[in-house]
Amino acid sequence: MTLPVPRPLDRASVRIGTASAAATPLATLVRPFSLAWRFRELIGAVLRRELADRFGGSLLGWLWAVIGPLITLGLYLLAFLGAVHLPVASAQGSPSHYALSIFMGLIVFSAVAELCCRAPVLLQEHAWFLKSSIFPSEILAWIAVFRALTFAGVSVVVFLVFQLAITGALRPTFLLLPLIIVPLCLFLLGVAWILAALGAFTRDVAYLMATFVPLMIVATPVFYSIGDLPADLQLVAYLNPVGAVIEMMRSLVLGGTAFPFIAYGVFCVFSLCVCRIGYSIFERYKGIALDAI
Amino acid sequence: MPSELTIRCRGLGKAFQLYAHRTDQVKQLLFGSFHRYYQEFWVLRDVDLDIACGESIGIIGRNGGGKTTLLRLLCGMTEPSRGELTVAGRVAPILALGAGFDAELTGRQNALVGGAVLGLRRAEIIRRMPSIAEFAAIGPFLDQPTRLYSTGMRARLAFAICAHVDADVLMVDEALAVGDAAFSRKCIAFMEEFRQRGTLILVTHDMSQVKQMCDRAIWIDDGGIRASGDVDEVTRLYQQAIDAEADDGARFYFESETDRALEG
Repeated sequence: MTLPVPRPLDRASVRIGTASAAATPLATLVRPFSLAWRFRELIGAVLRRELADRFGGSLLGWLWAVIGPLITLGLYLLAFLGAVHLPVASAQGSPSHYALSIFMGLIVFSAVAELCCRAPVLLQEHAWFLKSSIFPSEILAWIAVFRALTFAGVSVVVFLVFQLAITGALRPTFLLLPLIIVPLCLFLLGVAWILAALGAFTRDVAYLMATFVPLMIVATPVFYSIGDLPADLQLVAYLNPVGAVIEMMRSLVLGGTAFPFIAYGVFCVFSLCVCRIGYSIFERYKGIALDAI
Repeated sequence: MPSELTIRCRGLGKAFQLYAHRTDQVKQLLFGSFHRYYQEFWVLRDVDLDIACGESIGIIGRNGGGKTTLLRLLCGMTEPSRGELTVAGRVAPILALGAGFDAELTGRQNALVGGAVLGLRRAEIIRRMPSIAEFAAIGPFLDQPTRLYSTGMRARLAFAICAHVDADVLMVDEALAVGDAAFSRKCIAFMEEFRQRGTLILVTHDMSQVKQMCDRAIWIDDGGIRASGDVDEVTRLYQQAIDAEADDGARFYFESETDRALEG
């Protein structure tokens, strides 16, 4: 007995659970966040597991999260206090200031790099979980972002302790860091959703990221600052959102000055757009992505 | 939708996209609007189903008929390709028992994650942990990584978690096959008690279980509902069909075009 093969429709409509399906524009706009709030306990549970997992099998455990950045910063201090002078303007001032400036750049860059390399395989990594339970796949991006930010946060604490030890004082403006971290978080979420959805269909995305991301360190003001660039390149450099974040964080933590508000406003709007568009893309391809992995 | 319905599907269908080559999937993403690079394999077609609150449904049918896919759609694990689906209330699926466990985590930690997936607060799970431990009855293994568990122990823990989440709809997929008789008895007792307060959907090959526990039977065959209604009547028809039909591979064939594409 064979039934006629139905004509594929464009979309199926699904409503599961007690969640309200109100489709006001505002509800649609904030859906990525309301979903995360609804599953906050689950995000917490899985995040705790992933963080414990990262250093679980080691003797030193969480100390590794501190030791890594400590060694990095120590090496940079050694190198730039004595051995090397890079031919960029920002390296001409105090060497410890320059080392700290590189360190801040690296903290942000490695958080973004970790996420970009991991996001394309995010669905595959959790395939057993997604396929055998009713785990909401959207929140994997939240977990990955929070995980990257946790390690960056440990590094920032190391950074501040060192800054206090070396310069004897902290810039009070560092308390404003969350103002940058929130839009950065939105930006990373959007990127994670896009990469995770694409990465489910082809491994090329993961390979592309593995090749491309380490190269980006040259195009990002990690070892230099945007001010070192010739004037016409500066504008191009500001188009790299990671570079803009690094510069804003440096001005808060090292410069003790506020960042330019226009640049900040543009970055906030841009991040929100990336986040919402990324979520839409993920929602659109989630169904077939889960069948594909 | 009338409030007394728990589940309502209209024209529900699920097709898997079969690609001859893995790269075709990328082509489909890029140029999908111009050309179709895949064959469709319809696992379920045009399923209309209403399940009222508090009903107990037994789903029967041969392997590959679409029973598990139907359950996966109903609990939201898989997205349907077409049709309408509305499910009200909290669903606890007992499918692929324990496959969602993290092998490195202990049973207790898995219960925390598993409970959170089903929408339970952390504090609530911790409060119910003694009761979960008692139901699972795996003793000190609760604090061992689940990779050390036997299949039966994993099933016990998974069932214990689902039994403690205050579900409105319980979906059980051939779950009792792996447990020993004592545990099966415990599960059946739980399901008997559950059907007094919630909606139970049971997939099984055991006709006596369907007769014992369900108000209605649905026979899923070849991706559609072949018969539905009175338990005795449907199970009798199913039994007759099984006795008559040959157990050969013919049932598993789909479009011959797809076969060629897959071979190529």
